[in-house]
Amino acid sequence: MSDEHTASIPKTEKSNVEVRHDRRNERLTWLIDHFKREWQIYVMLAPAIIWFLLFLYKPMYGLQIAFKDYSIFRGIDGSPWVGWEHFGTLFGSDQFVRAVWNTIKISALNLLFGFPAPIILALMFNEILNATFKKTAQTIVYLPHFISSVIIAGIVITAFSPSAGIVNTIIGWFGFEPIYFLTKPEWFRPIFIGTGIWQEAGFGSIVFLAAIAGVNPSLYESAVVDGANRWQMMWKITIPSIMPTILIMLIIRIGNIMEVSFELIILLYQPATYATADVVNTFIYRQGIQGGQYDIAAAAGLFNAVVAFVLVMTANSISKRFSRTSLW
Amino acid sequence: MRKLTLVAAAFATSTLTGALPAIADGHLKVVDEPLELTVHFHWRRSKGYIEDWPVEKAACDWTGVCLKDATVGKNASTSSEAMNLLIASGSLPDIVGGERVRQPINEYGPQGAFIPLNDLIDEHAPNIKAWFNEHPGLMEAISSWDGNMYYIPYLPDGKYARAWFIRQDWLDKLGLEQPNNIEELEQVLIAFRDQDPNGNGQKDEIPYFNRNWEETLRPINFWDARTSGSDTYHDFMVVDGRLQHPYATENFREGLKNLARWYAEGLIDPEIYTRGSSARDYLLSENLGGFTHDWFASTSGYNISLKDTVEGFNFIPFLPPESISGQRFQEHRRIPIKPDGWAISHTNQDPIATIKYFDFWFTEEGALLANFGIEGDHYEMIDGEPVYTDKILGSGRAVNSQMYEIGAQAFRGYPQDYRYEWQWTRESARKGIELYDTEDLLLDQFLGVAFKQEEQEVYDKYWPNLQTYMLERIQAWVLGNGDIEADWDEYVAQLENRGLNDVLGVMQAAYDRQYGG
Amino acid sequence: MSGVSIESVFKRYGAVQVVHGVDLTVEEKEFVVLVGPSGCGKSTTLRMIAGLEEISDGEIAIDGRVVNRIAPKDRDVAMVFQNYALYPHLNVAENMAFGLRIRRMPKDEVKKQITEVAEILGLTEYLERRPADLSGGQRQRVAMGRAIVRHPKVFLFDEPLSNLDAKLRTQMRAEIRRLHNRLGVTSVYVTHDQVEAMTLADRIVVMNDGNIEQVGTPMELFNNPVNTFVAGFLGSPPMNQIQGTLTDQGAQIGGHELRILGAASGQTGRDVVVGIRPEHISLEAGPETSPLPIALDLVEPLGSEALLHGSFGDTPMVLKVDTHGDVAHLSGVSEIHVPADLVYLFDAETGGAIRGQAN
Repeated sequence: MSDEHTASIPKTEKSNVEVRHDRRNERLTWLIDHFKREWQIYVMLAPAIIWFLLFLYKPMYGLQIAFKDYSIFRGIDGSPWVGWEHFGTLFGSDQFVRAVWNTIKISALNLLFGFPAPIILALMFNEILNATFKKTAQTIVYLPHFISSVIIAGIVITAFSPSAGIVNTIIGWFGFEPIYFLTKPEWFRPIFIGTGIWQEAGFGSIVFLAAIAGVNPSLYESAVVDGANRWQMMWKITIPSIMPTILIMLIIRIGNIMEVSFELIILLYQPATYATADVVNTFIYRQGIQGGQYDIAAAAGLFNAVVAFVLVMTANSISKRFSRTSLW
Repeated sequence: MRKLTLVAAAFATSTLTGALPAIADGHLKVVDEPLELTVHFHWRRSKGYIEDWPVEKAACDWTGVCLKDATVGKNASTSSEAMNLLIASGSLPDIVGGERVRQPINEYGPQGAFIPLNDLIDEHAPNIKAWFNEHPGLMEAISSWDGNMYYIPYLPDGKYARAWFIRQDWLDKLGLEQPNNIEELEQVLIAFRDQDPNGNGQKDEIPYFNRNWEETLRPINFWDARTSGSDTYHDFMVVDGRLQHPYATENFREGLKNLARWYAEGLIDPEIYTRGSSARDYLLSENLGGFTHDWFASTSGYNISLKDTVEGFNFIPFLPPESISGQRFQEHRRIPIKPDGWAISHTNQDPIATIKYFDFWFTEEGALLANFGIEGDHYEMIDGEPVYTDKILGSGRAVNSQMYEIGAQAFRGYPQDYRYEWQWTRESARKGIELYDTEDLLLDQFLGVAFKQEEQEVYDKYWPNLQTYMLERIQAWVLGNGDIEADWDEYVAQLENRGLNDVLGVMQAAYDRQYGG
Repeated sequence: MSGVSIESVFKRYGAVQVVHGVDLTVEEKEFVVLVGPSGCGKSTTLRMIAGLEEISDGEIAIDGRVVNRIAPKDRDVAMVFQNYALYPHLNVAENMAFGLRIRRMPKDEVKKQITEVAEILGLTEYLERRPADLSGGQRQRVAMGRAIVRHPKVFLFDEPLSNLDAKLRTQMRAEIRRLHNRLGVTSVYVTHDQVEAMTLADRIVVMNDGNIEQVGTPMELFNNPVNTFVAGFLGSPPMNQIQGTLTDQGAQIGGHELRILGAASGQTGRDVVVGIRPEHISLEAGPETSPLPIALDLVEPLGSEALLHGSFGDTPMVLKVDTHGDVAHLSGVSEIHVPADLVYLFDAETGGAIRGQAN
């Protein structure tokens, strides 16, 4: 028994090593063959990978300045660690906390009103039968998207001007006193969100129009024969058919919840309206770019990113669970 | 085309300079062997330091030091951005200069990025030394927290910047005199509001207007309150050697209370916060605005540009009306030192030659070159005064733009010469400046402090939030949301809560260290 | 009387006319198949019956009622689409219930109907599934179920089997025919597949270029095609067509005399097209056959039969012969024998039949 045992050991060991060696060789040959055969695919993949590494992963290295007392001259590595101090500073500031809440409120309202707007618009376009009218209407609503925020802000300021603005002129017809909208905190959110819808709903409707165009036309024909009217077709065919697109767009939108378009806010807000208008990004802008405090700005940005990440993950898993639609 | 003229000008320069005996003798040479120095020079008037500028060619010729443009981030939208790019790149050229360099140079100088200039100036720069001796206090002002001076600033000349302007033709029409004090001023503004001075039958006149919303506050000067201690908005001020913030003083409470009253009564543009930069153009050309506080030079231009469109238009500067306590003062003035200029970086192999080169721009010849360009081409000396040639004055283009194109008036470290601006200041503005010169209107300015790192941290921690808080409350009061009298104690308590005293503490320490308080 | 009558119906898209005056009567409970190559106007005609296309000219009546101006939903027809048109977000039961719900049928009634129809179609265990989880054949059944539950006067089928593989197609074809036998609802069925047409139809309507070429029972059409088009369209492989001229005894084709029984006399010298069905030839000479030389280039064995591909002169020919269990001897074939009684003759110019199969 023991003889057998001892005799067999070297044999097995040797063969094990050989087998392992062969396997490794096999795998290596397989890899080499694989690359020889499929190298074009990897070449095509390379630009995307390089782009990700260079522009998304490498800059992550810089995130550490949120935990450092950053000096540009000393560089990222040369600046001393300060731990969570910047986060303490941020959350110790009632203005930052207010900015977080303002961001969430503006985003939530934007989601509530701004998200359905392009969908409704796309559904409306879909019901227009006259092709010329449809194209003209589409062009008109796409247009504001291509106007720069500065011009948009100018238009908004003019439209809401107490003396010459169209809004106050209309209010005047009903015998009310003009309102200096842009200095009233309670009006900032409606104006900002309304402007956003006016500017982006048209362009945002393109993706939903594309989704609608992808719906099998015989679904509608079948429904027509079955006796459905246009309203029923919209509710029972169009909307359910584009629901995956809607959900994906919603998840993406939720991921951007902390990214309120702050150029427009900077152009429209006043100290008088900070109470509702100051969002995290404008706060970072004032603090970081104007004040030169990159480390604090990075901390605020990191906080933003973490919140957005959690929201996207949550939204994605909810969507996956209830509708089988998800980003990944 | 423009390139051609530049080349032609450069050609003319070299021939001319060769003909000038005073310079041909080489007494301006700062080096025996020609020396090339690299320079970072981001400023808004051109992309970098242009080696083809006639002024640079002359300087190169006369001193033997030629600058090679090595500006980083030429396409950056602001000079601060470009500076950050430069510092982050880790390699500095011999000279770092341009716009808004004071803060970074004073921050990174003590960290070793730039060479302290005090001893170099003492030993090798007699003209710079002489200039600062004639202007006491300024060297301290630009020094960093360690007491060293790291950059040679662009030193503006001239005293006045903004002035009070009023529609003299409206006054005449309503039979009113120029207001001499705050009571009269208020009566004039009420008359502008109610008596239809533009004669269109509508009550659409805007008595006080401004194109910068920050200037909304300026009339509080008439109640002895301050809006800033310097030419920067919302800045601190020094009263009897103590730092204060103007928005936390009793006078401010009184001034803002009255300002809010003016706003409520319609004496201030109801849309002053959103009218924006075109307010002045719009309200003057529409014959609506009556009274403002704005720059001498540009505001006096409307008498010419609107001569044909608004009948009888006459918008002129007048002396600041006396305040409630009978004082007459002009709060806004030119700052004597700009945050622009240049510095010697730690990589520079020849700091002595460089400081000598910097000193060149403070010599008579260097200063003339920096201010007026090339003698015989851009200016002539007439009775010992530099006078622009017809080519410059008669071109129909702004003189400063023409100077920037040849490299004169660039934001290098040099003493500006007010004769440059005076020559192309309009008659009405000159009159106004002369009028303002009849009285001693100007106040001492707070020229800023350089913080140690710990001080900077305290300042950074509290000040941005404090300022935000102040501005929010101030705008709300002006707009009638809340009553300053009722809210004042709570406001002051909030400022304290938010660290105003800590900020004042570090500023006082820095101030005492810097100005020897 | 729930038939469909179509009277000189035209369809134009702008200046382009795609259906040129179609006349057709579909009797009650009849199963009529519209067949023709793609673009022949068969689908357009069907869609005009359904009301999905407007009728440019003419009249369509369903159950004796002119429906030109009647909305699709009020025509009481049900349609089965080529790609099934199932709603991907609804399960099988909901898909079938769709039309009923739209018509506000009470819930219990809907349920009853669906259970019944699902039973007929063998879909009972799939009622909760979504279309994405079904096989092609099951989807096809759901599409039919959706039509059946409506109990319409007329079923319209628009190439319902063309997305299925060959085996399933054969199976479903039989199922459709069985269903029709069971339900007895007037049906109009469009297909481009002549096998489907032959197997399903009570009557076949052959369409070409927006016109009806011939209407008749499958065997009528097969035996007596009115022209070369119909002759070439029905039958698999299609009829071989050879140019020739009439002689006393038959026809002269490519220098060979072909004996044809009952060839019209007194028309000697007339240019004709001679039609020979692939399965009618034999490899041995018979009493009433004429030999034709053939250059063979391919033999396709199908089992009991084989297809011979070759040419006669310049005319390509396909022939079908019995293999008797072996194809080796077929590669040597150089001559075929055409029975004189099984030859078709068409006018060379018009393509019209001169005589059909001799009976």
